[in-house]
Amino acid sequence: MKILGIETSCDETAAAVVDEHLHVFSSVVESSIDQHRAFGGVVPELAGRAHVTTIGPVVRRALDDADLDPHHPEIDAIAVTSGPGLIGSLLVGLSAAKAYSLAWGVPFVGVNHLEGHLFAPLLERPDMAWPVVTLLVSGGHSLIVLQSAPGEHRVLGETIDDAAGEAYDKVARWLGLGYPGGPEIDRLAREGSPDALKLPVSMTGDDLDFSFSGLKTAVVRATEKQHDVALRDVAASFQAAVAEQLLRKLRAAMVAHEVKGVALAGGVAANSTLREGVSELAREFGVEVHLPTMAMCTDNAAMIAAAGLYRLGISGPSSLALSALPNWQLADVS
Amino acid sequence: MIILAIETATTACALGLRSAEREVVRVLDLERRHSEVLALGIEGVLEEFGLRALDLDRVVVDVGPGLFTGLRVGVASAIGLGEGLGRPIVSVSSLELLAHGAGHAGVRATVVGVVDARRGEVFVQTFRVSDEGVVAMDAARVSTARSVVIEWATNGASVVFTGDGVQRYLADFAAVPNGEVFSQSVPSVEAALALGEQREPSERVVPLYLREADAVANFTTRERQP
Ligand SMILES: [Zn+2]
Repeated sequence: MKILGIETSCDETAAAVVDEHLHVFSSVVESSIDQHRAFGGVVPELAGRAHVTTIGPVVRRALDDADLDPHHPEIDAIAVTSGPGLIGSLLVGLSAAKAYSLAWGVPFVGVNHLEGHLFAPLLERPDMAWPVVTLLVSGGHSLIVLQSAPGEHRVLGETIDDAAGEAYDKVARWLGLGYPGGPEIDRLAREGSPDALKLPVSMTGDDLDFSFSGLKTAVVRATEKQHDVALRDVAASFQAAVAEQLLRKLRAAMVAHEVKGVALAGGVAANSTLREGVSELAREFGVEVHLPTMAMCTDNAAMIAAAGLYRLGISGPSSLALSALPNWQLADVS
Repeated sequence: MIILAIETATTACALGLRSAEREVVRVLDLERRHSEVLALGIEGVLEEFGLRALDLDRVVVDVGPGLFTGLRVGVASAIGLGEGLGRPIVSVSSLELLAHGAGHAGVRATVVGVVDARRGEVFVQTFRVSDEGVVAMDAARVSTARSVVIEWATNGASVVFTGDGVQRYLADFAAVPNGEVFSQSVPSVEAALALGEQREPSERVVPLYLREADAVANFTTRERQP
Protein backbone atom coordinates (compact mmCIF):
# COMPACT_ATOMS: atom_id res chain seq x y z
CA MET A 1 0.00 0.00 0.00
CA LYS A 2 1.35 3.42 -0.99
CA ILE A 3 0.07 6.74 0.29
CA LEU A 4 0.71 10.21 -1.16
CA GLY A 5 1.17 12.91 1.48
CA ILE A 6 0.56 16.60 0.76
CA GLU A 7 1.50 19.46 3.09
CA THR A 8 0.82 23.18 2.53
CA SER A 9 0.05 24.58 5.99
CA CYS A 10 2.63 27.36 6.05
CA ASP A 11 5.38 28.34 3.58
CA GLU A 12 6.46 24.84 2.47
CA THR A 13 4.74 23.06 -0.41
CA ALA A 14 5.54 19.39 0.11
CA ALA A 15 4.59 15.99 -1.29
CA ALA A 16 5.86 12.50 -0.43
CA VAL A 17 5.17 8.84 -1.12
CA VAL A 18 5.32 6.45 1.85
CA ASP A 19 4.22 2.82 2.25
CA GLU A 20 2.63 0.95 5.16
CA HIS A 21 6.05 -0.08 6.47
CA LEU A 22 6.83 3.65 6.69
CA HIS A 23 9.37 3.35 3.92
CA VAL A 24 9.80 6.79 2.31
CA PHE A 25 9.97 6.47 -1.50
CA SER A 26 10.15 10.21 -2.10
CA SER A 27 9.87 13.46 -0.19
CA VAL A 28 9.86 16.80 -2.01
CA VAL A 29 9.80 20.15 -0.20
CA GLU A 30 9.65 23.53 -1.94
CA SER A 31 9.74 26.61 0.31
CA SER A 32 8.67 30.18 -0.41
CA ILE A 33 10.69 31.45 2.57
CA ASP A 34 12.85 33.76 0.39
CA GLN A 35 9.76 35.78 -0.48
CA HIS A 36 8.91 36.30 3.19
CA ARG A 37 12.34 37.17 4.57
CA ALA A 38 12.00 40.92 3.95
CA PHE A 39 8.81 40.99 6.03
CA GLY A 40 10.28 39.22 9.05
CA GLY A 41 7.60 36.55 8.94
CA VAL A 42 5.45 34.49 6.63
CA VAL A 43 3.03 36.69 4.65
CA PRO A 44 -0.14 34.59 4.21
CA GLU A 45 -1.16 35.93 0.80
CA LEU A 46 2.34 35.40 -0.63
CA ALA A 47 2.41 31.87 0.80
CA GLY A 48 -0.98 31.08 -0.76
CA ARG A 49 0.17 32.35 -4.16
CA ALA A 50 3.34 30.30 -4.02
CA HIS A 51 1.48 27.09 -3.12
CA VAL A 52 -0.86 27.30 -6.08
CA THR A 53 2.04 27.56 -8.54
CA THR A 54 4.17 24.85 -6.91
CA ILE A 55 1.60 22.23 -5.90
CA GLY A 56 1.37 20.56 -9.33
CA PRO A 57 5.13 20.34 -9.97
CA VAL A 58 5.87 19.22 -6.39
CA VAL A 59 3.36 16.34 -6.52
CA ARG A 60 4.63 15.33 -9.95
CA ARG A 61 8.22 15.25 -8.68
CA ALA A 62 7.24 13.19 -5.64
CA LEU A 63 5.56 10.63 -7.93
CA ASP A 64 8.50 10.73 -10.34
CA ASP A 65 11.07 10.22 -7.56
CA ALA A 66 9.04 7.23 -6.38
CA ASP A 67 9.09 5.80 -9.95
CA LEU A 68 5.34 6.14 -10.32
CA ASP A 69 3.43 7.13 -13.45
CA PRO A 70 2.08 10.63 -12.62
CA HIS A 71 -1.23 9.96 -14.39
CA HIS A 72 -1.91 6.38 -13.31
CA PRO A 73 0.16 6.03 -10.16
CA GLU A 74 -0.15 3.00 -7.94
CA ILE A 75 -1.31 5.18 -5.08
CA ASP A 76 -3.87 3.72 -2.70
CA ALA A 77 -4.71 6.80 -0.65
CA ILE A 78 -3.92 10.48 -0.17
CA ALA A 79 -3.18 12.21 3.14
CA VAL A 80 -3.26 15.99 3.39
CA THR A 81 -2.73 18.50 6.17
CA SER A 82 -6.12 20.03 6.92
CA GLY A 83 -5.00 22.11 9.94
CA PRO A 84 -3.69 23.92 11.86
CA GLY A 85 -2.06 26.55 9.67
CA LEU A 86 -2.73 29.49 7.38
CA ILE A 87 -6.22 29.08 5.94
CA GLY A 88 -5.29 30.29 2.42
CA SER A 89 -2.34 27.89 2.32
CA LEU A 90 -4.20 24.90 3.77
CA LEU A 91 -6.96 25.29 1.16
CA VAL A 92 -4.54 24.87 -1.76
CA GLY A 93 -3.27 21.49 -0.54
CA LEU A 94 -6.71 20.36 0.55
CA SER A 95 -8.35 21.29 -2.76
CA ALA A 96 -5.59 19.63 -4.77
CA ALA A 97 -5.71 16.50 -2.58
CA LYS A 98 -9.46 16.14 -3.07
CA ALA A 99 -9.00 16.54 -6.82
CA TYR A 100 -6.22 13.91 -7.02
CA SER A 101 -8.43 11.65 -4.95
CA LEU A 102 -11.28 12.11 -7.47
CA ALA A 103 -8.91 11.68 -10.41
CA TRP A 104 -7.46 8.39 -9.17
CA GLY A 105 -10.58 7.11 -7.41
CA VAL A 106 -8.76 6.63 -4.10
CA PRO A 107 -9.72 7.71 -0.56
CA PHE A 108 -8.22 10.76 1.08
CA VAL A 109 -7.76 11.66 4.73
CA GLY A 110 -7.24 15.01 6.47
CA VAL A 111 -4.31 15.03 8.90
CA ASN A 112 -3.47 17.31 11.81
CA HIS A 113 -0.11 18.96 11.09
CA LEU A 114 1.10 18.53 14.68
CA GLU A 115 0.23 14.85 14.67
CA GLY A 116 2.28 14.72 11.48
CA HIS A 117 5.31 16.05 13.36
CA LEU A 118 4.86 13.29 15.97
CA PHE A 119 5.28 10.68 13.22
CA ALA A 120 8.58 12.12 11.96
CA PRO A 121 10.80 10.20 14.44
CA LEU A 122 8.89 7.01 13.61
CA LEU A 123 9.79 7.28 9.91
CA GLU A 124 13.46 6.91 10.80
CA ARG A 125 12.84 4.35 13.52
CA PRO A 126 9.70 2.28 12.76
CA ASP A 127 10.53 -0.21 15.56
CA MET A 128 10.70 2.32 18.39
CA ALA A 129 9.67 1.22 21.89
CA TRP A 130 6.55 2.83 23.41
CA PRO A 131 5.52 4.90 25.27
CA VAL A 132 7.49 7.91 24.07
CA VAL A 133 7.47 11.47 25.30
CA THR A 134 8.00 14.02 22.53
CA LEU A 135 9.12 17.61 22.74
CA LEU A 136 7.54 19.26 19.69
CA VAL A 137 8.97 22.69 18.98
CA SER A 138 8.77 24.81 15.85
CA GLY A 139 8.05 28.30 14.56
CA GLY A 140 4.38 27.94 15.41
CA HIS A 141 4.16 25.40 18.20
CA SER A 142 5.74 24.21 21.47
CA LEU A 143 4.31 21.14 23.19
CA ILE A 144 5.18 18.13 25.29
CA VAL A 145 3.22 15.07 24.14
CA LEU A 146 2.97 11.62 25.65
CA GLN A 147 2.46 8.88 23.05
CA SER A 148 1.46 5.40 24.16
CA ALA A 149 1.44 4.11 20.56
CA PRO A 150 1.40 5.65 17.07
CA GLY A 151 -1.68 7.87 16.82
CA GLU A 152 -2.43 7.66 20.53
CA HIS A 153 -1.28 10.79 22.24
CA ARG A 154 -1.97 13.13 25.13
CA VAL A 155 -0.76 16.74 25.32
CA LEU A 156 1.01 17.13 28.68
CA GLY A 157 2.02 20.75 28.29
CA GLU A 158 2.12 23.56 25.78
CA THR A 159 3.02 27.20 25.52
CA ILE A 160 0.62 29.64 27.13
CA ASP A 161 1.78 32.49 24.88
CA ASP A 162 4.50 32.52 22.17
CA ALA A 163 5.94 29.40 20.59
CA ALA A 164 9.70 28.86 21.09
CA GLY A 165 10.30 29.58 17.38
CA GLU A 166 8.43 32.87 17.68
CA ALA A 167 10.69 33.90 20.54
CA TYR A 168 13.71 33.14 18.33
CA ASP A 169 12.28 35.26 15.51
CA LYS A 170 11.48 38.19 17.80
CA VAL A 171 14.92 38.20 19.42
CA ALA A 172 16.64 37.77 16.04
CA ARG A 173 14.70 40.73 14.63
CA TRP A 174 15.67 42.85 17.61
CA LEU A 175 19.33 41.87 17.21
CA GLY A 176 19.10 42.66 13.49
CA LEU A 177 19.80 39.06 12.46
CA GLY A 178 17.06 38.61 9.88
CA TYR A 179 14.37 35.98 9.45
CA PRO A 180 14.01 33.15 10.32
CA GLY A 181 15.93 33.66 13.54
CA GLY A 182 16.59 30.10 14.68
CA PRO A 183 19.50 28.98 12.51
CA GLU A 184 21.41 32.26 12.86
CA ILE A 185 21.03 32.44 16.66
CA ASP A 186 22.03 28.77 16.91
CA ARG A 187 25.14 29.41 14.80
CA LEU A 188 26.18 32.46 16.86
CA ALA A 189 25.36 30.74 20.15
CA ARG A 190 27.88 27.99 19.46
CA GLU A 191 30.71 30.55 19.74
CA GLY A 192 29.24 32.50 22.65
CA SER A 193 29.04 32.16 26.42
CA PRO A 194 25.64 31.14 27.79
CA ASP A 195 26.44 32.76 31.16
CA ALA A 196 27.15 36.23 29.74
CA LEU A 197 23.62 37.51 30.39
CA LYS A 198 21.42 36.70 33.34
CA LEU A 199 18.03 35.79 31.88
CA PRO A 200 15.08 34.49 33.88
CA VAL A 201 13.78 30.99 33.22
CA SER A 202 10.07 31.59 33.70
CA MET A 203 7.35 29.11 34.67
CA THR A 204 9.12 27.09 37.27
CA GLY A 205 5.79 25.80 38.61
CA ASP A 206 4.61 22.20 38.69
CA ASP A 207 2.68 22.24 35.43
CA LEU A 208 4.33 21.34 32.12
CA ASP A 209 3.34 24.51 30.24
CA PHE A 210 5.81 26.96 28.70
CA SER A 211 5.95 30.74 28.45
CA PHE A 212 8.30 32.58 26.11
CA SER A 213 6.70 35.99 25.69
CA GLY A 214 8.72 37.61 28.49
CA LEU A 215 12.06 36.39 27.18
CA LYS A 216 12.48 39.00 24.44
CA THR A 217 11.84 41.82 26.95
CA ALA A 218 14.35 40.21 29.31
CA VAL A 219 16.96 40.10 26.54
CA VAL A 220 16.32 43.78 25.69
CA ARG A 221 16.61 44.83 29.37
CA ALA A 222 19.71 42.77 30.06
CA THR A 223 21.56 44.10 27.02
CA GLU A 224 20.59 47.68 27.88
CA LYS A 225 22.15 47.22 31.29
CA GLN A 226 25.23 45.57 29.78
CA HIS A 227 25.67 47.04 26.31
CA ASP A 228 29.25 45.89 25.75
CA VAL A 229 28.12 42.27 25.56
CA ALA A 230 28.95 40.51 22.28
CA LEU A 231 26.18 39.38 19.92
CA ARG A 232 27.32 35.75 20.18
CA ASP A 233 27.05 35.92 23.97
CA VAL A 234 23.52 37.35 23.76
CA ALA A 235 22.59 34.55 21.36
CA ALA A 236 24.15 31.90 23.60
CA SER A 237 22.46 33.24 26.75
CA PHE A 238 19.07 33.45 25.04
CA GLN A 239 19.38 29.99 23.54
CA ALA A 240 20.39 28.57 26.91
CA ALA A 241 17.35 30.16 28.60
CA VAL A 242 14.97 28.72 25.97
CA ALA A 243 16.57 25.29 26.14
CA GLU A 244 16.62 25.27 29.92
CA GLN A 245 12.88 25.93 30.13
CA LEU A 246 12.06 23.30 27.48
CA LEU A 247 14.36 20.68 28.96
CA ARG A 248 13.34 21.31 32.57
CA LYS A 249 9.69 20.69 31.65
CA LEU A 250 10.59 17.69 29.51
CA ARG A 251 12.50 16.23 32.43
CA ALA A 252 9.50 16.81 34.74
CA ALA A 253 7.33 14.97 32.19
CA MET A 254 9.75 12.03 32.24
CA VAL A 255 9.70 11.93 36.03
CA ALA A 256 5.88 11.92 36.04
CA HIS A 257 5.41 9.38 33.24
CA GLU A 258 7.36 6.21 32.74
CA VAL A 259 8.47 6.07 29.10
CA LYS A 260 10.76 3.93 26.95
CA GLY A 261 11.90 6.76 24.73
CA VAL A 262 12.22 10.51 24.35
CA ALA A 263 11.89 12.29 20.99
CA LEU A 264 12.44 15.71 19.52
CA ALA A 265 10.27 16.97 16.65
CA GLY A 266 9.48 20.19 14.77
CA GLY A 267 11.75 22.75 13.09
CA VAL A 268 13.45 23.91 16.30
CA ALA A 269 14.54 20.28 16.83
CA ALA A 270 17.48 21.15 14.56
CA ASN A 271 18.80 23.26 17.42
CA SER A 272 22.13 21.94 18.72
CA THR A 273 21.62 22.79 22.42
CA LEU A 274 18.24 21.02 22.44
CA ARG A 275 19.62 17.94 20.70
CA GLU A 276 22.39 17.64 23.28
CA GLY A 277 19.98 18.26 26.15
CA VAL A 278 17.51 15.60 24.99
CA SER A 279 20.31 13.05 24.49
CA GLU A 280 21.48 13.75 28.02
CA LEU A 281 17.97 13.21 29.42
CA ALA A 282 17.75 9.90 27.56
CA ARG A 283 21.02 8.78 29.15
CA GLU A 284 19.90 9.91 32.60
CA PHE A 285 16.63 7.94 32.35
CA GLY A 286 18.15 5.04 30.42
CA VAL A 287 15.66 5.28 27.53
CA GLU A 288 15.91 5.45 23.72
CA VAL A 289 16.50 8.81 22.13
CA HIS A 290 14.92 9.83 18.81
CA LEU A 291 16.47 12.83 17.09
CA PRO A 292 15.15 13.04 13.53
CA THR A 293 17.35 14.39 10.77
CA MET A 294 16.93 18.02 9.78
CA ALA A 295 14.77 17.11 6.76
CA MET A 296 12.32 15.25 8.99
CA CYS A 297 12.30 17.93 11.73
CA THR A 298 11.11 20.70 9.44
CA ASP A 299 7.75 20.62 7.67
CA ASN A 300 7.53 17.80 5.11
CA ALA A 301 4.88 15.56 3.60
CA ALA A 302 6.38 12.17 4.54
CA MET A 303 5.31 12.76 8.14
CA ILE A 304 1.82 13.71 6.92
CA ALA A 305 1.64 10.52 4.84
CA ALA A 306 2.73 8.46 7.85
CA ALA A 307 0.15 10.06 10.14
CA GLY A 308 -2.42 9.61 7.37
CA LEU A 309 -1.77 5.86 7.24
CA TYR A 310 -2.66 5.58 10.91
CA ARG A 311 -5.66 7.94 10.66
CA LEU A 312 -7.05 5.95 7.74
CA GLY A 313 -6.71 2.78 9.76
CA ILE A 314 -8.22 4.27 12.93
CA SER A 315 -10.87 6.69 11.67
CA GLY A 316 -11.28 5.81 7.97
CA PRO A 317 -11.25 8.25 5.05
CA SER A 318 -12.44 11.87 5.24
CA SER A 319 -15.46 13.22 3.38
CA LEU A 320 -14.85 15.30 0.24
CA ALA A 321 -16.71 18.05 2.14
CA LEU A 322 -13.90 18.30 4.71
CA SER A 323 -12.99 21.91 5.53
CA ALA A 324 -9.63 23.31 6.52
CA LEU A 325 -9.29 23.90 10.28
CA PRO A 326 -6.78 26.74 10.78
CA ASN A 327 -6.88 26.39 14.60
CA TRP A 328 -7.16 22.61 14.94
CA GLN A 329 -5.61 21.60 18.28
CA LEU A 330 -3.68 18.37 18.67
CA ALA A 331 -5.76 17.61 21.79
CA ASP A 332 -8.89 17.60 19.58
CA VAL A 333 -7.58 14.95 17.17
CA SER A 334 -9.59 11.75 17.38
CA MET B 1 -15.49 15.83 -25.91
CA ILE B 2 -16.32 15.59 -22.19
CA ILE B 3 -15.56 18.81 -20.35
CA LEU B 4 -15.77 19.83 -16.72
CA ALA B 5 -15.96 23.54 -15.85
CA ILE B 6 -15.01 24.97 -12.46
CA GLU B 7 -16.25 28.39 -11.34
CA THR B 8 -15.04 29.85 -8.02
CA ALA B 9 -14.17 33.49 -8.82
CA THR B 10 -16.94 35.07 -6.78
CA THR B 11 -18.72 34.17 -3.53
CA ALA B 12 -20.55 31.53 -5.59
CA CYS B 13 -19.20 28.08 -6.36
CA ALA B 14 -20.50 26.54 -9.58
CA LEU B 15 -19.61 23.78 -12.01
CA GLY B 16 -20.67 22.45 -15.36
CA LEU B 17 -20.32 19.16 -17.19
CA ARG B 18 -20.82 18.66 -20.90
CA SER B 19 -20.74 15.45 -22.89
CA ALA B 20 -21.83 14.80 -26.47
CA GLU B 21 -25.41 14.22 -25.31
CA ARG B 22 -26.01 16.54 -22.43
CA GLU B 23 -24.89 19.53 -20.44
CA VAL B 24 -25.60 20.55 -16.86
CA VAL B 25 -24.64 23.67 -14.95
CA ARG B 26 -25.02 23.78 -11.23
CA VAL B 27 -24.57 26.54 -8.68
CA LEU B 28 -23.45 24.64 -5.58
CA ASP B 29 -23.24 27.45 -3.05
CA LEU B 30 -23.36 31.24 -2.77
CA GLU B 31 -21.59 31.74 0.54
CA ARG B 32 -17.86 31.29 -0.15
CA ARG B 33 -17.84 27.61 0.86
CA HIS B 34 -15.91 26.70 -2.30
CA SER B 35 -13.67 24.16 -0.64
CA GLU B 36 -16.51 22.31 1.12
CA VAL B 37 -18.80 21.98 -1.90
CA LEU B 38 -16.64 21.77 -5.02
CA ALA B 39 -15.11 18.27 -4.89
CA LEU B 40 -18.34 16.77 -3.63
CA GLY B 41 -20.22 18.54 -6.45
CA ILE B 42 -17.81 17.19 -9.07
CA GLU B 43 -18.20 13.66 -7.73
CA GLY B 44 -21.99 14.05 -7.78
CA VAL B 45 -22.27 15.37 -11.32
CA LEU B 46 -19.95 12.68 -12.70
CA GLU B 47 -22.10 10.05 -11.02
CA GLU B 48 -25.23 11.60 -12.47
CA PHE B 49 -23.75 11.30 -15.98
CA GLY B 50 -22.60 7.76 -15.26
CA LEU B 51 -19.01 8.85 -15.87
CA ARG B 52 -15.72 8.43 -14.08
CA ALA B 53 -13.14 11.20 -13.69
CA LEU B 54 -11.01 9.27 -16.19
CA ASP B 55 -13.64 9.94 -18.86
CA LEU B 56 -12.96 13.68 -18.72
CA ASP B 57 -11.14 15.04 -21.77
CA ARG B 58 -10.55 18.52 -20.44
CA VAL B 59 -10.97 20.72 -17.40
CA VAL B 60 -11.77 24.40 -17.84
CA VAL B 61 -11.34 26.79 -14.93
CA ASP B 62 -12.16 30.43 -14.28
CA VAL B 63 -8.81 31.90 -13.20
CA GLY B 64 -10.29 35.27 -12.25
CA PRO B 65 -10.02 38.05 -11.47
CA GLY B 66 -12.04 37.54 -8.30
CA LEU B 67 -11.79 36.39 -4.70
CA PHE B 68 -8.21 35.23 -4.14
CA THR B 69 -9.08 32.30 -1.89
CA GLY B 70 -11.91 31.11 -4.13
CA LEU B 71 -9.65 31.30 -7.17
CA ARG B 72 -6.99 29.23 -5.47
CA VAL B 73 -9.53 26.57 -4.51
CA GLY B 74 -10.73 26.40 -8.13
CA VAL B 75 -7.28 26.46 -9.71
CA ALA B 76 -5.79 23.94 -7.25
CA SER B 77 -8.74 21.63 -7.93
CA ALA B 78 -8.29 21.98 -11.70
CA ILE B 79 -4.57 21.25 -11.32
CA GLY B 80 -5.25 18.17 -9.19
CA LEU B 81 -7.69 16.82 -11.78
CA GLY B 82 -5.69 17.84 -14.86
CA GLU B 83 -2.36 16.61 -13.50
CA GLY B 84 -3.85 13.53 -11.90
CA LEU B 85 -5.61 12.46 -15.09
CA GLY B 86 -3.03 13.76 -17.54
CA ARG B 87 -5.65 15.96 -19.21
CA PRO B 88 -5.28 19.52 -20.48
CA ILE B 89 -6.58 22.49 -18.48
CA VAL B 90 -8.09 25.53 -20.20
CA SER B 91 -8.05 28.94 -18.46
CA VAL B 92 -10.88 31.42 -18.91
CA SER B 93 -11.41 34.78 -17.21
CA SER B 94 -14.36 35.77 -15.02
CA LEU B 95 -14.84 39.02 -16.95
CA GLU B 96 -15.02 37.37 -20.38
CA LEU B 97 -17.46 34.82 -18.97
CA LEU B 98 -19.72 37.69 -17.88
CA ALA B 99 -19.60 39.20 -21.38
CA HIS B 100 -20.36 35.81 -22.97
CA GLY B 101 -23.15 35.29 -20.46
CA ALA B 102 -24.77 38.55 -21.57
CA GLY B 103 -24.22 37.56 -25.21
CA HIS B 104 -25.91 34.17 -24.70
CA ALA B 105 -28.93 36.02 -23.30
CA GLY B 106 -29.19 38.08 -26.51
CA VAL B 107 -27.34 41.24 -25.49
CA ARG B 108 -25.62 42.89 -28.49
CA ALA B 109 -23.75 45.90 -27.17
CA THR B 110 -20.66 47.22 -25.51
CA VAL B 111 -20.60 45.13 -22.33
CA VAL B 112 -18.62 46.02 -19.22
CA GLY B 113 -17.93 43.07 -16.94
CA VAL B 114 -17.61 44.10 -13.29
CA VAL B 115 -16.46 41.70 -10.56
CA ASP B 116 -16.53 42.75 -6.90
CA ALA B 117 -12.93 43.11 -5.71
CA ARG B 118 -13.81 44.01 -2.09
CA ARG B 119 -12.32 46.98 -0.24
CA GLY B 120 -14.46 49.33 -2.33
CA GLU B 121 -12.89 48.21 -5.59
CA VAL B 122 -13.99 46.30 -8.68
CA PHE B 123 -12.25 44.32 -11.43
CA VAL B 124 -13.46 45.64 -14.76
CA GLN B 125 -13.07 45.01 -18.51
CA THR B 126 -14.92 46.20 -21.63
CA PHE B 127 -16.08 43.87 -24.42
CA ARG B 128 -17.82 44.27 -27.75
CA VAL B 129 -20.57 41.64 -27.94
CA SER B 130 -22.00 41.09 -31.42
CA ASP B 131 -23.33 38.27 -33.60
CA GLU B 132 -19.72 37.54 -34.48
CA GLY B 133 -18.87 36.89 -30.86
CA VAL B 134 -17.13 38.56 -27.93
CA VAL B 135 -14.05 40.76 -28.37
CA ALA B 136 -12.15 42.42 -25.52
CA MET B 137 -11.75 46.17 -26.05
CA ASP B 138 -9.26 46.76 -23.23
CA ALA B 139 -7.35 44.87 -20.57
CA ALA B 140 -8.81 43.75 -17.24
CA ARG B 141 -7.96 46.23 -14.47
CA VAL B 142 -8.75 47.26 -10.91
CA SER B 143 -10.93 50.34 -10.45
CA THR B 144 -13.78 51.64 -8.30
CA ALA B 145 -17.48 51.51 -9.13
CA ARG B 146 -17.51 55.30 -8.93
CA SER B 147 -14.80 55.89 -11.51
CA VAL B 148 -16.30 53.32 -13.90
CA VAL B 149 -19.68 55.02 -13.58
CA ILE B 150 -18.22 58.52 -14.11
CA GLU B 151 -16.16 57.31 -17.06
CA TRP B 152 -19.21 55.93 -18.91
CA ALA B 153 -21.62 58.71 -17.93
CA THR B 154 -19.12 61.24 -19.31
CA ASN B 155 -18.36 59.28 -22.44
CA GLY B 156 -22.08 59.01 -23.23
CA ALA B 157 -21.86 55.85 -25.35
CA SER B 158 -24.48 53.22 -24.68
CA VAL B 159 -23.24 50.41 -22.50
CA VAL B 160 -24.42 47.33 -20.61
CA PHE B 161 -22.98 46.61 -17.16
CA THR B 162 -22.95 43.09 -15.76
CA GLY B 163 -21.45 41.12 -12.89
CA ASP B 164 -21.57 40.80 -9.09
CA GLY B 165 -19.76 44.15 -8.84
CA VAL B 166 -22.74 45.76 -10.57
CA GLN B 167 -25.16 44.04 -8.20
CA ARG B 168 -23.14 45.30 -5.24
CA TYR B 169 -23.10 48.93 -6.42
CA LEU B 170 -26.42 48.71 -8.26
CA ALA B 171 -27.63 52.23 -7.42
CA ASP B 172 -24.46 53.73 -8.92
CA PHE B 173 -24.54 51.70 -12.13
CA ALA B 174 -28.31 52.08 -12.61
CA ALA B 175 -27.86 55.86 -12.49
CA VAL B 176 -25.77 55.97 -15.68
CA PRO B 177 -28.24 57.53 -18.19
CA ASN B 178 -26.72 55.81 -21.22
CA GLY B 179 -26.25 52.53 -19.35
CA GLU B 180 -28.28 49.41 -18.76
CA VAL B 181 -27.78 46.65 -16.24
CA PHE B 182 -27.85 42.98 -17.21
CA SER B 183 -28.38 41.10 -13.95
CA GLN B 184 -25.81 38.33 -13.63
CA SER B 185 -23.85 37.50 -10.50
CA VAL B 186 -22.11 34.24 -11.39
CA PRO B 187 -19.77 34.25 -14.43
CA SER B 188 -21.37 32.05 -17.10
CA VAL B 189 -20.47 28.39 -16.70
CA GLU B 190 -22.18 27.63 -20.05
CA ALA B 191 -19.70 30.02 -21.65
CA ALA B 192 -16.83 28.35 -19.81
CA LEU B 193 -17.88 24.96 -21.21
CA ALA B 194 -18.05 26.37 -24.75
CA LEU B 195 -14.69 28.16 -24.47
CA GLY B 196 -13.18 25.09 -22.88
CA GLU B 197 -13.84 23.17 -26.07
CA GLN B 198 -12.64 25.87 -28.49
CA ARG B 199 -9.62 27.29 -26.72
CA GLU B 200 -6.04 26.04 -26.60
CA PRO B 201 -5.10 24.54 -23.22
CA SER B 202 -2.86 26.57 -20.90
CA GLU B 203 0.73 25.62 -20.19
CA ARG B 204 0.61 27.15 -16.74
CA VAL B 205 -2.65 27.66 -14.91
CA VAL B 206 -2.40 30.48 -12.36
CA PRO B 207 -4.99 32.77 -10.81
CA LEU B 208 -5.28 36.22 -12.35
CA TYR B 209 -4.91 38.38 -9.23
CA LEU B 210 -4.51 41.85 -10.84
CA ARG B 211 -3.44 43.09 -7.43
CA GLU B 212 -0.13 42.69 -5.62
CA ALA B 213 -0.25 40.78 -2.37
CA ASP B 214 -0.70 43.58 0.13
CA ALA B 215 2.38 42.32 1.85
CA VAL B 216 3.40 45.45 3.68
CA ALA B 217 -0.02 46.82 4.58
CA ASN B 218 -1.46 43.51 5.62
CA PHE B 219 1.74 42.26 7.09
CA THR B 220 1.07 39.46 9.51
CA THR B 221 3.61 37.10 10.88
CA ARG B 222 3.20 33.38 10.87
CA GLU B 223 -0.16 32.66 12.45
CA ARG B 224 0.18 31.38 15.94
CA GLN B 225 -0.57 27.72 16.15
CA PRO B 226 -1.27 25.63 19.21
ZN1 LIG C 1 5.31 22.34 11.46
